[in-house]
Amino acid sequence: MELAVEARALGKRYGRSWALQDCALEVPAGRIAALVGPNGAGKTTLLHLAVGLLRPDAGEVRVFGRDPRDGTAVLADIGFVAQDTPVYRDFTAAELITMGGKLNRRRWDAALARDRLATLGIPPDKPAGKLSGGQRAQVALALALAKRPRLLLLDEPIASLDPLARREFMQTLMGAVAESETTVLLSSHLLADLERSCDYLIVLQTSRVQLTGPVDELLDTHRTLVGPRAGSESIAGVAKVVRASHTERQSTLLVRRGDGPIDPLWTEHEVTLEDVVLAYLADADTRVNPAAWGVPA
Amino acid sequence: MIWLTWRQHRKQALFTLVALGVLGAIMVPTGLAMHAKYDSLGLAACRAALGSASMITQTEAVARCDGLGHQFQQQFSSLTFVAVLFVILPVLVGVFFGAPLVAREVEQGTHRLVWTQGVSRLHWALAKFGLIGAITAVLAVGYALGVSWWFQPLVSASTGRLTYISFDVQGIVPIAYTLFALALGVFAGTYWRKVLPAMGIAMVGYAVVRVAVEVFARPRYLPPQTLSFSPSGKQTPNLASGDWVMEQGVRNAAGEMVLPDAQIGPCPAGGCGNGPGDVGPGAYNWLRYQPGDRFWTFQAIETGVFVLLTAALVYFAIRRVRTIA
Repeated sequence: MELAVEARALGKRYGRSWALQDCALEVPAGRIAALVGPNGAGKTTLLHLAVGLLRPDAGEVRVFGRDPRDGTAVLADIGFVAQDTPVYRDFTAAELITMGGKLNRRRWDAALARDRLATLGIPPDKPAGKLSGGQRAQVALALALAKRPRLLLLDEPIASLDPLARREFMQTLMGAVAESETTVLLSSHLLADLERSCDYLIVLQTSRVQLTGPVDELLDTHRTLVGPRAGSESIAGVAKVVRASHTERQSTLLVRRGDGPIDPLWTEHEVTLEDVVLAYLADADTRVNPAAWGVPA
Repeated sequence: MIWLTWRQHRKQALFTLVALGVLGAIMVPTGLAMHAKYDSLGLAACRAALGSASMITQTEAVARCDGLGHQFQQQFSSLTFVAVLFVILPVLVGVFFGAPLVAREVEQGTHRLVWTQGVSRLHWALAKFGLIGAITAVLAVGYALGVSWWFQPLVSASTGRLTYISFDVQGIVPIAYTLFALALGVFAGTYWRKVLPAMGIAMVGYAVVRVAVEVFARPRYLPPQTLSFSPSGKQTPNLASGDWVMEQGVRNAAGEMVLPDAQIGPCPAGGCGNGPGDVGPGAYNWLRYQPGDRFWTFQAIETGVFVLLTAALVYFAIRRVRTIA
């Protein structure tokens, strides 16, 4: 199995605080991976490390086995759409495509970009600054796709778009990568945007990877259990209780399954991806100490 | 990269050309008028006759030549203020070309677009700094030649080209100043990464460095020379020598400064001991100065200083570029 992105003990520090710490993950080639986490979790830092904009302070990150800061050969394989989809605002879409050709001598499919933008009805001679947010995001995506990248990294590409533009953007993205064998890693603070499209999931919170794996496997290994009010005793067939909530009479647990059947005392329910993600995020949630506000805890 | 650089900066280039055109339209007629007047007054010939020695014998011809110089200065004194404008011009290059070069990319996030294409950051930086620097250098050479030509009559008619302001807009130093301003702007942009603060830093930094070099370093490039002459003799400092007088005064027989910033003489045969301030017998005029023929040496030293500063700033700017994300 070829790995598109591989991180080992990866860390990045700004001043004294770690934006990303002890990060280990693998994105196999051909996957469409979602990088999910709240704002400030380190998603952008991770993507910037993967595209070589940042240099790691600890560990290493590899893209198709190579260091992304190791020359332009690696960059040619990566298509990157940064947060807020920046493009030169005084350039027209046509000029941006010309620019891409000048900057990517190795491989540049201008016809592909033109076709995409023509299909989407984006005017070629209007400055990008005068396009709508959705259109500008489409231009940025077209520029990234014209590199014919083996790995496409997108940093919150739809965060600032309205719901209609979001759906359109995700449709064009999925249409584009379905034709090729491009690996995609896209981040969002909203799982709902990605849930239907992705087959691989990375959950990031408070600078650490909380959960990573193929979506179907994650769904298969997690269960919601409802049963009588439980203490802290272990349950047969359960490897780990991710999150527990209790009422007076009963307990609801989100668990990772272990070997063997689960204790029949508990009623088993299938989980949705959202249940799993929220459980892991809540588990890792570290709140600000009320004392920081001068309020008693 | 050439295409991208041209596409990004063509508007600036156009504005610059228009501004330089307007400036030229003012400079050429006034410059021609000054040159014509300079020649018609016979200043060129009489200055040439005085030679470049620091001291000459006071004669009627010398006095007449000084008089012509004063007359010329009177007529064109208002234009001296234009020279102050020329002193300021290089900093505009730093503020409007240099500071936004990296800072605007970072401010608009487009550095993440351009640095993730198939061109390395180092290549990007070298191409951009190199192209903009080369164009700036060409403009600066034109500016230096133009201003040197324009300013030449005014300078020769007055205190010479080594003095403040005259030195700063002539010869080769304006080219070095301009490149330094550009590099300072670029560096400020890589450090503060917002266009407006970078512009401010470039402007203030340029002024501070220029003033520091001008006031503290330049008078010390070479040890100054001193000159003493008796008030009763016929010798007088030669205005055509272009000497940069840094300090002058009258010293008494014991060598103590008794009248700073003054000169006495020529005195009657009996001496001039009873003059203003009563300097006593044996007093003499004293000058500390940089000889006018050091002009090109000083130009070379000052150019060297600013070229070195420019190189250092470019080096640090490139280093900064490699850490921005």
